[in-house]
This record gives sequence, C-alpha cells and structure tokens, in this order.
Amino acid sequence: MKLRFHWAFLLIAALVPVVGLFVPAAQSLGELLRPIFIMAILALGLNILTGFTGILNLGVAAFMALGAYVYAILTCDIYPFQFGFWPAVLLTVLVGLLAGLMLGLPTIRLRGDYLAIVTLGFGEIVQDSLKNMDVITKGTQGINPLPAPTFAGYVFRSETYAPWYYLFLGFLALVVLLNRNLQRSRVGRAWIAIREDELAASCMGVNPMKMKLLAFSLGAAQCSLAGALWASFLGSSGEPGNYDFQVSIIALCIVIVGGMGNIAGVLLGALVVVGCNSLVLETFTNFLKAHELISSTNVYTAPGNWKYMLFGLALILMMRFKPEGLLPSRQVKAELHPHEPPPS
Amino acid sequence: MSLLQVDKLTMRFGGLVAVDAVTLEIPPGEIVSLIGPNGAGKTTVFNAITGIYEPSAGSIRFAGHETRSEFHGSVAILLLLTGFLTAGALILLCNIESLWEVVITGNYQYRQVFQWKPAGVAFTTYFSENSGTRLILPAVLGLFLGLAGAWAVWQRSRRTPEVAAHAGIARTFQNIRLFNQMTVLDNVLLGMDTRLRTRFWHAALRLPLFWRERRDATGMAIEILRFVDLNREVNQLAENLSYGHQRRLEIARALAMQPKLLLLDEPAAGLNPAESQSLMELILQIRERGITVLLIEHDMQVVMGISDRIAVLDYGEKIAEGTPVEVRANPAVIEAYLGKSDAST
Repeated sequence: MKLRFHWAFLLIAALVPVVGLFVPAAQSLGELLRPIFIMAILALGLNILTGFTGILNLGVAAFMALGAYVYAILTCDIYPFQFGFWPAVLLTVLVGLLAGLMLGLPTIRLRGDYLAIVTLGFGEIVQDSLKNMDVITKGTQGINPLPAPTFAGYVFRSETYAPWYYLFLGFLALVVLLNRNLQRSRVGRAWIAIREDELAASCMGVNPMKMKLLAFSLGAAQCSLAGALWASFLGSSGEPGNYDFQVSIIALCIVIVGGMGNIAGVLLGALVVVGCNSLVLETFTNFLKAHELISSTNVYTAPGNWKYMLFGLALILMMRFKPEGLLPSRQVKAELHPHEPPPS
Repeated sequence: MSLLQVDKLTMRFGGLVAVDAVTLEIPPGEIVSLIGPNGAGKTTVFNAITGIYEPSAGSIRFAGHETRSEFHGSVAILLLLTGFLTAGALILLCNIESLWEVVITGNYQYRQVFQWKPAGVAFTTYFSENSGTRLILPAVLGLFLGLAGAWAVWQRSRRTPEVAAHAGIARTFQNIRLFNQMTVLDNVLLGMDTRLRTRFWHAALRLPLFWRERRDATGMAIEILRFVDLNREVNQLAENLSYGHQRRLEIARALAMQPKLLLLDEPAAGLNPAESQSLMELILQIRERGITVLLIEHDMQVVMGISDRIAVLDYGEKIAEGTPVEVRANPAVIEAYLGKSDAST
C-alpha cells in the first residue's frame, strides 16, 4: 500500500524536532510549524463545510474565538472553574459542537450566498459580543494568564518547544484521522453528494438538512478545538480583534489553495499560506532591511505588510489557473487510474 | 390493490394549472408509460410523486400510505427540545452579564475557594427577583419561537424527496443528475444510503459494523453495476462516462435503493437505436426483479414495445388510458399528437 500524502506529511513533521537537535535551522522551522498546525486544524474544520458539503462559511473565526474564550474561562484562575487542560479542551469541543448546532438549526435551510452572509454576520456578532461582555470576557484585554497545559504530570512551559510541537501535532493527527474516516464512509459520501446535487441526493433518500447540520456541528467543534489550542499556546484568550474576518479568510484561503475537499490538500495549503506569511515574507523583509534596500521606518515597502494583498492575488490566480487546488481530491486521481481497485 | 394511487392530483403554479385532476393507478409488477406532447405535465406528475412538489390538491398514496411523514412521539420530543433549547438560550442571552456578576464574580475571590452554596442561593434569588422580565418573558418567548419555528420547519419537510425515497420510490431525471465528481461506484453506493445502518460514530471510530457494511455494500454495488453492464467503469468519474452509460448509471443508482417503484424520466432520450433496444431489455429485466416501472418516454418504439398500459396526458389532463393497442387507436390521442384532420370534421 502506498503512503498517502497526509500520513507522509505527519510523519515528516514528527521528525522535525529530532533533526532540530542537530541542526539549529530545523529547530526554528519547528517553532514556526506550531501555529501552522493550529491553522491546519481550523482549516480542516472549514473543509468539512466548504470542501465536502459545499457550504460557504465565512465565520469560522467566530468558532475559533468561542473555543479560545471558553477554554480561557474554564482554565484561568480569575474564574472559579479552573479545569485542567484535557477536560477543558474536551468541554470546549462539546461547546463548539453545540454552538454549531445552534447556529445551524435556524439557518441551514438557506442556500449558497445567503448562508455565507449569515455566517459572515455571525462572525462579527461574536467578535462584538466578546468585546462588549467585559464582565465575563474582560473586553479587549482578553483573559490571561492561562495556566500551562499538563500531561501526566509534565508541565508544558513556554520556553520548551518540542513538547508543544508534539502536542499540537498529535491533535492534528487525531483530527486528520477523524476527517479521513468520515470522508471515506457513508457520511462523507452523502456530504459530497449534497455538494454535487442536493436534489438528486435527497431523491436517493439522503436527508440534506441532517447531513448539513452534522457538517456544521463537526466543523464548528474542530474550529473550537483550534481556538482552545491557540489560547493554550498564547497563554491568553487573546483579544476579540484577533479573531476577525481576516482569520476566516485565511482559513478559506488555505482550503482553496490546498484543494477543496482534500485533507492532504488542506495540510499543504496551511503549510504554504501560513508558512509564506510567517517564514518567507518575514525572512525576506529582514533580508531587505539588513541590506538597507528598504527603510525600516516606511511601512509600505515592507513585504510583510503586503500579505493580504498577496493572499488575494494568490486566490485569484488559483481560481483562474488551478481551481481544484494544489492537491486535488482523490476523485481526480481515480479518473487517471481507472483500473486500480476501488479506493473507498 | 394498486401499488401507486394518484387521485385527482392537481398542481398549480400561480395561475398556471400544470396538472389538472389526474388519476393514475399503477398495479404492482407492471410497466406503465406516461406519454404526451411536450409540456403536458408528465415530469410535474413525477415531481409530485417523489415529493419535490407538494400537490395543490388531490392525494398520492403509495402502498396504501400517503408519502409524507406522520406525527410521531419522537417528532413531539424533538419539537419540545428545540423549544426548551431556544428558551434556555434566550434566558441566558438576556441575563448573562448580570447573572455572571451575581453568581460567579460575587462569590469568588482570586485564588480562594469558590463558594458553591451562596452562589446557588444568589442564582435562585436573582431569578426570583424581577422574575417577570428576567425569567418568564424570555422563557415564554423562547419556547414559543422555538416551537413555532420547529413546527413550521417540520410541516414544510413532511413531504420531501427523502420521505418518498424511504417509502420505496426511486427515480431518474430527464436531464441526467449524477454526482459528477464522484466515482461510478460511489454513485451507486449513495443510492444504497437508505439501507445502510452505519452512523457517523461507527465511521469515525471504524467500528466492526462499518467494515462489515462497507464490504457488503461494495459487493452489492458491483453486482448492480454488472446488471446494467457498467462493471468495467467502476472507478471512473461519473462525468467522464459516455451519455448512454450515464443514463445506465442513473438507473443503477436508482436500483441500488431496492425500490418497489421505479420512475424513469425519458430514459431513451438521446440514445441511438441499438442503445434503445438494450435499454428496453434492461427495463424488462428490472420488471422481472419485481420492480414496478412508471416510464415517461417520447420514443414510441420503446413505449409500445414494453408497456403493459399507457396513460396519455395533454395540457395537464389525462385524455386516454389503456393497453398500447387501445391507445394507438384512440382518436383523442391522435388528435393530441397530430392535430385534428380536416376529413374527420
């Protein structure tokens, strides 16, 4: 059996800190990879909705914010709950599941653009609510400091990077496994059928409302997980402005650039989009500054500040030249090898 | 007793009467054709039978039952649950900040033990003071909103395509509606969806039921594909099949549902004579499997060749019904197709 891309990705990623013991460059790469893992979990949550089921969701940042704040409230010692890391993460995922269901129930009958507008509005509402409910959320300060996560007595400190790395990689692997299992089953088949032709799917006995609600809740749960991990990594819930529309767009960007509906594609997309943001542009800016090619006071000439324009450009170019993404889904592969045994 | 009983079915779209009091009876095990000029309302009848349209008047009974979901205890529980959930959410939404201050902030000093008992007392006193605006109003409003919304959604989804599909009615479409980006095998497996018992947790955790059902379902799907002679295209994408093969795949997908009644909407459209011939044989074989067939078709060779009975629609009304020989000789049918001849007036 040949090794699939997403398992290869996770395997290679697992080796990075080991290499980092000998090569310092690999260690700095590993430090950059941690936020990429979290963004990948967020994008995989969106992929269930947009990639599999064909629902455009422009408000995943809201679920991420919800996850981060719920996790922060549950763990922070300014509040009485003070759960440990693991039960808090579990509860956060459950809250995300419920929140997805609550948003989905009244809106799921909307189609296409209308639902996208609702999710866009939801994103703004959550952000404003978090800003204004300052009794609970501490307004723009965010909830902090959060205690470090622990695992079987071991405390994750912010100075050490490898344990964090494996923690997030483990969560990512879990999410990938879950999504892959769902994709290659009755559930994933029904989701894709709804994306392809909702009327035909319902004439085959698939209940589109039920399947869309399931996609909504599972997607929201994964986005909340990403939020909880992000909060634990920052040691703070972050401020509401951290979860604005840009985050939703970056998640969408990851899904589209990588390949809609393909898990491996989303992983690659996260690597390319977030990696481009935090590694390539940063290094390039520093390089230019070091050689005095640009002035360090002029914000317009720094490539790092051009990232949203570059994302937009990348999105337009992808849509024009490679709409199926860098790694298209397995169906296209099946087309090229019609004589191999059934992949599902 | 007939398998499908369409009684005085009427479909109005605004001022247009697309189907006018059409009555159809389809006995089990027969091949019945529905013919008529373009725009006569044949596909509209199909859409009403499969629950895509709600009939403006008349009834559709399949195997003795209306093809719509009945009010069960589980529906009532679901409605009530939605109502209570909305009420709870609304109460929380109205009070969350002041409640938080009274219950949580008021009873917790930084790094001290949380006072559970006073917190509980504060919680109850909060709601007993001003209970009208704090508790009762949002609760009643939320319960009403949730119940009414859920009731409206349920009412509107009583007669949906999936209800008809679960009852045992399968169909194909006039303009082929396959899942283009899915493989041939996946298309057929999706048709099998009503018969699968795997739930999402079985799939997520790969429980034994998942493996067993996947093996069985794939085997059955291959068998169905062999029946329609598509077993060499198992892993092709549906959109890459030739037109004739796509028509066959649609039939295979419908057969995978193991329906009692199969509705075929112009299955021979766009096929060459040889393909039509093999389609006729296929339809006869489907009947031998114990599946009743209702057919819309313009190709008279196909219609006359395989139908047990034919019903003719014109301008939404049924103008004739009978065996192929009777229908062929019926003057009303000839008039509908060819117009009135001068000699006969």
